Amino acid sequence: MAGPGDDAFAHADIVRRLSGESRVGSLPVMSLRNAVAHRNLLYLLTLKELRTRYRKSLLGWTWSLLNPLSQMLIFSFVFLVAFKQSPPVGDPSGLEAFPLYFLAGLLPFQFFSISVTTSMGVVEGNASLIKKVSFPHEHLVFSVVLAQVITLVIELGVLSVALTIAGATVAPWLIVAVPLIALLMVFTTGVALALSAANVFFRDINYLWGIAAQALFYASPIIYTPDLIDIDALRALSNWGPTGSFVRAFHEVFYDNRMPSPERWAHLFVISFATFAFGSWVFGRLSYRFAEEM
Amino acid sequence: MTGQATALTVDGVSKTFKVHQERANSLKQYLAARGRNRYEEFYALRNVSFDVREGEAFGVIGHNGSGKSTLLKCMAGILRPNNGSITVHRRMSALLELGAGFHPELSGRDNVFLNASILGMSRSDITKRFDDIVEFSGLEQFIDTPVKNYSSGMYVRLAFAVAINVDPEMLLIDEILAVGDVTFQQRCMEKFVQFREEGRTLVLVTHDLSSVRNFCDRAIWLDHGEVSDEGSPTELVDKYTEAMLSNNVDEPLSEGARRGSGEIRVDRVEMFVDGLRVFRVRTGDSVTFRLHYTAREEVPPPVFAVELARLGGAIVTAPSSRDVDLRTGPVSGSGVVEIRMDDIALVPGPYAIHTAVTGYGRQHVYDHIQTALRFDVVGGDTQEVDGLVTMRPVWTIRGDSA
Repeated sequence: MAGPGDDAFAHADIVRRLSGESRVGSLPVMSLRNAVAHRNLLYLLTLKELRTRYRKSLLGWTWSLLNPLSQMLIFSFVFLVAFKQSPPVGDPSGLEAFPLYFLAGLLPFQFFSISVTTSMGVVEGNASLIKKVSFPHEHLVFSVVLAQVITLVIELGVLSVALTIAGATVAPWLIVAVPLIALLMVFTTGVALALSAANVFFRDINYLWGIAAQALFYASPIIYTPDLIDIDALRALSNWGPTGSFVRAFHEVFYDNRMPSPERWAHLFVISFATFAFGSWVFGRLSYRFAEEM
Repeated sequence: MTGQATALTVDGVSKTFKVHQERANSLKQYLAARGRNRYEEFYALRNVSFDVREGEAFGVIGHNGSGKSTLLKCMAGILRPNNGSITVHRRMSALLELGAGFHPELSGRDNVFLNASILGMSRSDITKRFDDIVEFSGLEQFIDTPVKNYSSGMYVRLAFAVAINVDPEMLLIDEILAVGDVTFQQRCMEKFVQFREEGRTLVLVTHDLSSVRNFCDRAIWLDHGEVSDEGSPTELVDKYTEAMLSNNVDEPLSEGARRGSGEIRVDRVEMFVDGLRVFRVRTGDSVTFRLHYTAREEVPPPVFAVELARLGGAIVTAPSSRDVDLRTGPVSGSGVVEIRMDDIALVPGPYAIHTAVTGYGRQHVYDHIQTALRFDVVGGDTQEVDGLVTMRPVWTIRGDSA
């Protein structure tokens, strides 16, 4: 296949082969290696994502804080005033503040849902780039998740200050939050890869996702506590559903200030990496056909 | 083969596209068809093989739809071939579209970094070459302005400056010479020449035959997805031009819209140059249009008229047999009408012939066909491209310093 032997040898690192047989679905490991190799592209795409997101809005970055705050006010009113529920008690933190409980669950969920929605939009929105330039498409998704995780970290930082003022001892638990956020990123990237690739072929995935995201929101214990549910199966779903499990872990770390159980960690670990493996497989299978489908 | 190393190998590449009769764009449609999408396979490339040697300028020519763009996209790694393989031995940069991936909200500086990294450059390389890029683009003053405020010329200049400074050992170019103003095109051309002199490899995919003839060392001719010929650009371009002009594919009468009472009808329209039936003519050719008509019944002396128009656009000329006082008796049966135009002064482009057969008062329409024939004019004895016709201008410039 190659030219004269010595030549091919000297340039082995830049020889690129495209053929019908090779490049079957990329394994997660491969796509991570790819991400590292193109880290400059990843960095710049993320920067672009961050810079352009609020470029045209008056309040800029503050929007990313205002949205959860306004939702906090609405849902706190519904939960505390309209339904007359008493706020969950943090164990062992002793907190009794529904708005903070709500935010501790909402922020990671919003990170997840916004990342997936934005990923679909970014892959679709870069059709002209995909059709004209050869580059690792998964970086579009990675850059969205990275940009969103920066927002999440800032939001959680603000929340931690509020929790500390309210009397919780969050600071020592922030170290536990790091692997938790990392797992959430892995999980989110998996879903985002699968759906943004599928959305290129079937544009209604976008709408279906809107509905699914809403179902997941209510299936997760964000605006309620699991013990308010009488039906065992539903309670289990809110506790151990994919997003519910993450929300519970964030509650435990930020609101309750305790270590999530080993079962919880194991569960999160398995669903995150299984989802990521599936998402990478789907994306790897479909992405080489993006240019002709768009 | 000379002793030179190979820069790019294309080996038995085929690429098919699915032509969907009913394309399932939504999940519902897809499920309704139970996953069976009805489609036909269309071969855009069929078993294409060639080598590009190191340091040569290689041209790929072919008419629209010959598979040129597909081949280019396969070489650039954007499309994946169904069969065969493409091996790239050199660091390659493909210029398919300048500024693909520029983000309007970001400054020129940020876009340079982003675009160059998309093209595969590392951060330190970009930093090193940043000044060169800005200098080549000539946009020092505007580099921190968002590119949405750039004129299209500035946009292209910056994009080209990035693309050229990726420092590829091999450059893949797609019709790129056709963008920007003349000065800019010249700078691109100079850059390409410089590239070649530095011993780098260039692959030029185009239907601009003159750039292939002037610039390339070797070329292939792609026809209906297959390599039809390979050789020296001069020979190939001549053969190609010849084939394009005497293309005897019998296109059916493309009936755009037909109206009229129908007692007499135009059956088909043909076009001849030097007695040969053609579908393409050169500017300046002597062209004869032949209208075949059939009258179902005897009709009083009719008027034949043609309108020569830019395809889908302005009418260039509309002569009729009445203009020249050509009178026939009552017409019946079938016959031909010939209209000869000795110097077809149309500038290159797609054109159409509309035909009309009317009563002598031109009020009663027997038959009117919109786009009875469509044909192309290719560059002949004029280099003009704008407007519709050439008036055979003769230029003189006088000035104090000349």
